[in-house]
Amino acid sequence: MIKITNLEKFYRTEEVETIALNKLSMHVDTGEFVAIMGPSGCGKSTLLNILGMLDDPDEGSYVFNGIEVAQFNERKRADLRKHNIGFVFQSFNLIDELTVFENVELPLIYTGVSAAERVKRVEEVLDKMQIMHRRNHYPQQLSGGQQQRVAIARAVVNKPKLILADEPTGNLDSSNGNDVMELLTDLNEQGTTIIMVTHSEHDARYSHRIIRLLDGQTVMENIMV
Amino acid sequence: MFKNYLKIALRNLQKQKLYSLINIAGLAVGLAVCMMIMLYVTHEMTYDRFHTNAKRIYKLQASVKIGGNTMNMNYMSYASGPLVKQSQPGVEGYMRTLDYFKPVVVSNPLTPETKFKEDKLIFADPAFFNFFTFKLKEGSANDVLNKPFSVVLSQDMAKKYFGDTDPIGKTIKLKTDSVYTYQVTGVAENTPSNSSVDYNFVASANSLLAMKEAANYTGEQRIASGSFNLFLLLKSQSDTLGIRNGLQRMADKEKDDFKTFYNLSSLTSLHLSNNFGDFSNLKYLKIFPLVAVLILLLALVNYMSLTTARATLRAKEVGVRKVSGASRKTIAAQFYVESGLFTLISFSLGYALCYAFKPWFLNILQLKIDNSFLYSPTVLLLLFGLLLLTALISGIYPSVVLSSFKPVITLKGKTSKQSGGTAVRKVFTTLQFSIAVGLIICGVVIDRQLYYLRHADTGLDRENVVMIPVSNSIGKNYPAFNKDVQALAGISNVATSHYAMYGGHDMYFMEGKTKEESVGLAALSVDDKFIPTLGLKWKYAPVAGKQLANANSIVINETAIKELHLPANPVGSFINTGNGKLEVAGVVKNFNFSSMETTIGSLGLFIKPDTTQVWGQEGCNLFARVKPHTNMPSVINAIQAIYKKYDQDTPFSYSFMDEAFDKQYKAEDRLASIFSTFTYITILLATLGLFGLAAFTIEQRTKEIGIRKVLGASMTTITTLLSTDFLKLIVLSVIVASPIAWYAMHNWLQNFAYRIAVPWWVFVLAGAMALITAVVTISYHAIKAALANPVNSLRSE
Repeated sequence: MIKITNLEKFYRTEEVETIALNKLSMHVDTGEFVAIMGPSGCGKSTLLNILGMLDDPDEGSYVFNGIEVAQFNERKRADLRKHNIGFVFQSFNLIDELTVFENVELPLIYTGVSAAERVKRVEEVLDKMQIMHRRNHYPQQLSGGQQQRVAIARAVVNKPKLILADEPTGNLDSSNGNDVMELLTDLNEQGTTIIMVTHSEHDARYSHRIIRLLDGQTVMENIMV
Repeated sequence: MFKNYLKIALRNLQKQKLYSLINIAGLAVGLAVCMMIMLYVTHEMTYDRFHTNAKRIYKLQASVKIGGNTMNMNYMSYASGPLVKQSQPGVEGYMRTLDYFKPVVVSNPLTPETKFKEDKLIFADPAFFNFFTFKLKEGSANDVLNKPFSVVLSQDMAKKYFGDTDPIGKTIKLKTDSVYTYQVTGVAENTPSNSSVDYNFVASANSLLAMKEAANYTGEQRIASGSFNLFLLLKSQSDTLGIRNGLQRMADKEKDDFKTFYNLSSLTSLHLSNNFGDFSNLKYLKIFPLVAVLILLLALVNYMSLTTARATLRAKEVGVRKVSGASRKTIAAQFYVESGLFTLISFSLGYALCYAFKPWFLNILQLKIDNSFLYSPTVLLLLFGLLLLTALISGIYPSVVLSSFKPVITLKGKTSKQSGGTAVRKVFTTLQFSIAVGLIICGVVIDRQLYYLRHADTGLDRENVVMIPVSNSIGKNYPAFNKDVQALAGISNVATSHYAMYGGHDMYFMEGKTKEESVGLAALSVDDKFIPTLGLKWKYAPVAGKQLANANSIVINETAIKELHLPANPVGSFINTGNGKLEVAGVVKNFNFSSMETTIGSLGLFIKPDTTQVWGQEGCNLFARVKPHTNMPSVINAIQAIYKKYDQDTPFSYSFMDEAFDKQYKAEDRLASIFSTFTYITILLATLGLFGLAAFTIEQRTKEIGIRKVLGASMTTITTLLSTDFLKLIVLSVIVASPIAWYAMHNWLQNFAYRIAVPWWVFVLAGAMALITAVVTISYHAIKAALANPVNSLRSE
């Protein structure tokens, strides 16, 4: 599903140039659950942003589902993104002014799904995440675990092929964290490819494969059994 | 999608009450000013366009060149109408109207007590209501003005003199040179407020031929200047040049000692090109649209500046939307919807404000705008255009800034780094304060100049002088009236003058050095008490015992000595009038006999005895100097009682000479009061903007302030730190605005022959005002932030 070759990304300020990704190559197959680990500043987030087409690489190739996207402009990337990729963040990133239902509905609005179909699909996914009873609440009225479930609901409502999760349990206690990992595992078992950045060895154990990064390069791959 | 945008816009509006209020209120005030000015300008620009034939109607005017002087003649002779039509094939028809030059006394013979002085009496050719598009409520356009002494009343006048009864066929008395009875043949709609033909009474022009003064109007049998507005209906708009040339060829054949030139002005351009009478509106017409644009710009800048500043708070939302599949275009569209919503709310509020303050605005401008004009398609279309334009502009900058946010950054919470155009907002704030400071400077200079005009020594003591106009109906009683007023205890002096002071003068042309050179000499007919009563000073007093009131002598002013090339002390020398000689009896020091916008020209005083019958026969003005510390109302009542004894026909009226002097500057006065209002609004808007921006900027620096406090910063150092950034911008605005304002005011002052220099301290004053306003505005937030407990601000990060 994903094949990147010799990917490079630099950050420049006036005095220093920092290499975030240094000729990085990797691939992820459809249906895989991959964890990316490494110390702070190793390039995990940069990689995830590029994979999620939120950022573009400076050099190298990124083939997504057989399409070379490294040189895509913002409009094309947005278009490809909205049909294929769902995001889950450490800080949930729900819109405070929208209710649970409206937050989850948002991606469907942008992909042009009809209003009736939207209600059906949002209710379906809220049900699955067991958050249906909170549908008219605002994010501030929910616990962290509930907020992350809403965020996951929003990530999957469009039935994306790929979910990118950036430390999804980072702001949660262990019990809520485990619930979230279970949810992701379920989604993976139903066929969704998942790439997750994490600091937690515990969480990484839910994945099939761990890619360890250091200074913008792959240093080790562990296949989980 | 649209619903979603609207929903989030409304929720944000509710959540951010203070900012929403500042945003909406600021924009509403700006829009209200803009609408008001738009209404006014549109009204001025649409003058006379409602006539069906407006585009083909032209007014014929002449200018006459005598020697070196050119005089514009607005009116043509009675005979000109038919003669022009006969000689010029391009002319389809003509219409002569005579605006009766002074108010007339009108009464209804059935109810003699309804007797008033009325203005706007015009005499017109029979086709008046066909030629122009004024609707007749009663009567037929083809015959209402056919017979002599028929009159059509405006609806207001019909109501005033006949109440609810039908006036058709009844009679009404109008006193022109004497009282004539007219038959009412029609009632016409009141003239729209944007019509330059304005009537209360339209009488048939042929009535004039039957009057005693007929010869004044109909004596001239050629195409020449006269007393009538001459409107021509052309076969085609393109005929103007041909007709003008045709008339010019005829004029060139005439053997006059002057040269006549003709000019055709289209009816629709008449109002704005009219240089006769009060053309002060033209001044506003140039300045106001500029002010409207500035104020709207200010309000829009406020809106954009605040919205983008607040955008940091929306950055996360933008990020989430982008990862949820929104493109830059859809985000831009969303913020356009929000701006549209804000604009719509502000627009409605602005419209309400405009409606509420319209009477006040029109009152200052001394202007009448029909209510029906407010709902005319032109105005509605313009308002709609303003709404669209505002929504369009207000949305541009926020949309561009907000849609450019990168989700990668915003979702990590590093929003402050891309809060969007901090530099642009600095430019905005500087711009706003530059406008405010500029307007303050202009306002103060205008005010100073007006003060100067009012209080300058004009060489004439105009305080405590009552002027009483006397019409010819007083007749031979005038000397007795004059004597009785003089005898009143509260009166120290009386004098007689043909014209009211500052109410006009005659113009004579005297021979200069050679026979060909003619020198214009303004002339006032006055009695021998005029000079002492008004406190005029002699430059060269007359020879002792010399009788001034003498038809062969004249008193002149200092300017006239030079212009007429007289010897340094001209007393006893003669002025050649072209058909006789006048002996210079004395020279008065220069005094301003007209507006101080012009320098003092040559003046001659023709002095007649106060006992002469001429005063009563022609009408004149009695000037009575009231002794200081006298009860003014009782003196005026006493004068009125005397007046009633000698004249029962013409109602009593009076004015004060100092007020008449001040009235000459009413255009400037109105300009000043409108200007100060605009200045207040500008300051208000700029302050609102600064208030919002300061609140926001300081909010963003909460963490920094917390750390500084923990490290030991005092409240004063923090307040100073926070204020300095803004105050730098204010100082910059003063530097930007001062030269522009100086230039504008310097030019404006050139309109006055007597003027002040732009004083240096206005720049200091305006700068100080801006700084104080800014300090007060910022301090509120700065002190609040400095007082906050750092524990709270640091924990929130």
